[in-house]
Amino acid sequence: MRFLVVWCLFTGLIWSADATLEVVKGVQPLPSLVIEDGSAVENEMSQKMHAMLSADMNVISLFTLNENYFHVPYEGGVAAANSTNSHYVLRFRLAPDGAGGVRADVKLLQNSTEIFVKTYLLKQSEMAVFLSHSIAYDINTKLGGAPLEWIKRKVLLVRLTGARRSEIVAADYTLSYQKVLLSGGMFGFAKWANGEQTDFYYTSLSDFKPTIYKMSLINGRKEKIISSDGMAICSDVNQDGTKLLMTLAPTGQPDIYLYDTETRGKIQVTDFSGIDVSGQFMSNDKIAFVSNRLGYPNIFSKAINNSSVTQLVYEGKSNSSFSAYQDNLVYKARDTSGMYEGTTFNLHLLSLRSNTLRPLTSGGENDFPRFSGDGQAVLFIKQEGARSSLGIIRLSYNKSFSFPLKVGRIQSIDW
Amino acid sequence: MIKNVAFLSATVAMLILSGCSTKAPAIDATANASTTSTGTQADSNAATATGTDANAAITPVSNAVAPTAITPVSNIDAGAAASAANGANGSDGQLISVLFDFDKYNIRSDMEGRMSANAALLKTKSVKLEGNCDEFGSDEYNFALGLRRASTVKEALINSGMNGDSISMASLGEGNPVCLEKNKECWAKNRRVDFKLP
Repeated sequence: MRFLVVWCLFTGLIWSADATLEVVKGVQPLPSLVIEDGSAVENEMSQKMHAMLSADMNVISLFTLNENYFHVPYEGGVAAANSTNSHYVLRFRLAPDGAGGVRADVKLLQNSTEIFVKTYLLKQSEMAVFLSHSIAYDINTKLGGAPLEWIKRKVLLVRLTGARRSEIVAADYTLSYQKVLLSGGMFGFAKWANGEQTDFYYTSLSDFKPTIYKMSLINGRKEKIISSDGMAICSDVNQDGTKLLMTLAPTGQPDIYLYDTETRGKIQVTDFSGIDVSGQFMSNDKIAFVSNRLGYPNIFSKAINNSSVTQLVYEGKSNSSFSAYQDNLVYKARDTSGMYEGTTFNLHLLSLRSNTLRPLTSGGENDFPRFSGDGQAVLFIKQEGARSSLGIIRLSYNKSFSFPLKVGRIQSIDW
Repeated sequence: MIKNVAFLSATVAMLILSGCSTKAPAIDATANASTTSTGTQADSNAATATGTDANAAITPVSNAVAPTAITPVSNIDAGAAASAANGANGSDGQLISVLFDFDKYNIRSDMEGRMSANAALLKTKSVKLEGNCDEFGSDEYNFALGLRRASTVKEALINSGMNGDSISMASLGEGNPVCLEKNKECWAKNRRVDFKLP
């Protein structure tokens, strides 16, 4: 595969049986799949599509994949020797659509019988990886795989490109497609403003004071939301986009504020002399956040209109980032006592309902976990020296995948 | 054979990414009736998801860099990287950056001399304090740590007689290293507060 390297870890972890995130696959051998290029002419694009589909089929985790490339006639049954022993054959055919785009015919055969047929029109060839993701989504839906809505979503990331320089980039989850949305300054903490992914918030550190802006991808307009001496970060957006949790520090003291996008008013949610950051909605009136009120960073919760604070995590001594989904937390913890070389930051999954704790990674520097919208997957940053990878953990299958960024380190992600 | 035409929700999202100036979707999905009933069901599912992003208008982002699909779009700022690699002082003029211990924001005893020297140089001037961190952690907590370092320095400057209104602060997290090597000494240089003059 030219554009991505996929590593897959079978962690052997058994996911706790919470109703919202239950194990959907056991240990039975997976059916075999072969992907065939049925294009009239084998070319670079059809070979790339084969590679991208292979990566996606690995990620959907429904098959034992034969990753060899085969070129066969699109029409007809399963005649090729390579396919006769496979339970499934995914065959595609790319051809010009006559309007400057590409037509993709796709069919899935099970024991020589067509069980899925669909045609896609690709207007821009550079978007081919999204065609692959759409095909994977449809195949997964057809075969009843675990929810996979996230595979089609855009990942928003901030990439550090040099001292005091960063870019905001929109990408697909494999980083095969990347488009710079904003460059020429120092930016951080980009976050989608709505479920449709048409707007996003970000922090500009190029202004005299750190400032949160909202940028529209529809018209390119940037709107100043708020600035604060010291620190201004949009940490979370509620489901309908009307409420934001921010970290602001108007007096040099980082605390969490609730911002109303309609009234443009804000209320202070935490008031502590140390560090309170990374507020995330657990419900409309309850948040989780990171605080060092015990002398080290850990994760707590509180009601928005109540001063009482509850400690959520009792393991680890440096739990400085997390993501919340319903009654589940995934958080980063420093797992070794050494503070320099060899320091390991691992991700852990905690069910607040059953109090079950499961490690999700087993080494390296793993950071910035983010649950998918349906809680089925966790996106995270894996730092490897001067460069980063985007990691995805599919909780239902106990598998993780990593997609390296070729240049630069990732500062933050959202999807 | 009945043919259903469906436009996938993902297609509009792709167009947003592409910066296309038209409102046509980048990928249309034509759902042919499958040879089996289950295939038709799958196609129906795809069509149901159509409307999600359908109202998203597609206009190029005005200040976006030209799209560079598939290939990475940026290189490390070579000049900045070179200047940072030597661990140079990050402060302006004769001012000297103040260094901090790992995960700490109190002023070390060996930094008190630098604080005194800086306070003497600043007196009635305005200054911006920029808090910085090592590369361990790109999260908000790391930024907050940088800010608390700057805040501690601000308090010390006020205690030495400076007017607090002439001091502003910002945290740059891990984004402004003065040393890029991967060792203990280098990381120690990056856990600092820089003094910037307007």
